[in-house]
Amino acid sequence: MSKIDQKRRAILKGTISASTLAMVAASGLLLPQRLLAHWPKDAFNSETVEDALLALVGQAEVASDKALNFKVGSPPSYAVNGASVPVAIESDLDNIERVAILVEKNPFPLAMSFDLSPAVLLPFKSMIKIREDSNVIAIIRAEGKLYKTSRFVEVDIGGCG
Amino acid sequence: MGITAKDRIRAKLKKGNTSVRLLLAHPMHTGRAKNKQDELIPAEFIQDIRCWRNEEEVLTIKCGTATARNPYFSFQLAGGESNDLIAIRWVDNLGAKGLTETRVK
Repeated sequence: MSKIDQKRRAILKGTISASTLAMVAASGLLLPQRLLAHWPKDAFNSETVEDALLALVGQAEVASDKALNFKVGSPPSYAVNGASVPVAIESDLDNIERVAILVEKNPFPLAMSFDLSPAVLLPFKSMIKIREDSNVIAIIRAEGKLYKTSRFVEVDIGGCG
Repeated sequence: MGITAKDRIRAKLKKGNTSVRLLLAHPMHTGRAKNKQDELIPAEFIQDIRCWRNEEEVLTIKCGTATARNPYFSFQLAGGESNDLIAIRWVDNLGAKGLTETRVK
C-alpha cells in the first residue's frame, strides 16, 4: 500500500469518529430535558466529589438549603454494615430534575444519580455501599439551582471490598 | 455468590399516589473485591434502570458501583389508578438486561 493510501485511510477513520462524537454530543446538548440513554461514565469514574459533580450537573451555584432533607443509615448517622446502608431523600422543592448521592471517601464517590419526571414524588429510598466513616452528600438540581446537604455516617464494616 | 432470587416489584395505591417498591437480584460486583483464590472479581453492576407507567417513562436511575448488592429502590408516583402497568428495565455494564413489571394494586 502506498503512503498516500495509508494517509487517506487515517483521515477517513478520523472523520468518522469525529462525526459520531459530534452526533453524540449534539443529541445530548439539543435535548437537555430528555432522559438520556447513555451512562455518564466521567461522573461515575471520577475520584473526587468535585469532579463527579462537575461531570454530572455542570457548574452551578450551590444554594445550600434546608429544602432538602435526607437520612442515611439506620439508625441515622450510624451503619453497622457498610455494604448496604439505607438512604432516604425527601424535599419540598418543585420541578426537581435530578438527584445525586455521593459518598465522599468511596473510591468513586458518585453512588447513584436519578432523573425524575414530574410524575415522581419523593421520598426516594435506596441502599448504598460506604467504605469507611465518611460524609454522604445529596444534591438536588431544581430549576437550575443546586441544593446540597450532607450527613456524616459512621460505618462498622466497610462495604466496598 | 450465585443468585437464585428474581427481581421483585410491588406497586400499591396509597392516599391517591402510587407507591413503588423494587428489589433487583444482582451481585453488583465493584471490580475491587477478591474471591477466595485472591483473584479480583470483575466488575459487574447495574448501570441504568428505567421505569415506565403505562408507556410513559417516569424515572431513570443511573447507578455506580456504590449501589448496594441486590439494589432496593422505593419511590412514589403522583396519582395513578389501580391496574396501571409499572414496568422496569435494567441494563448492567456487561450488557445483561432485565425486565420486570407489575400492575398497581
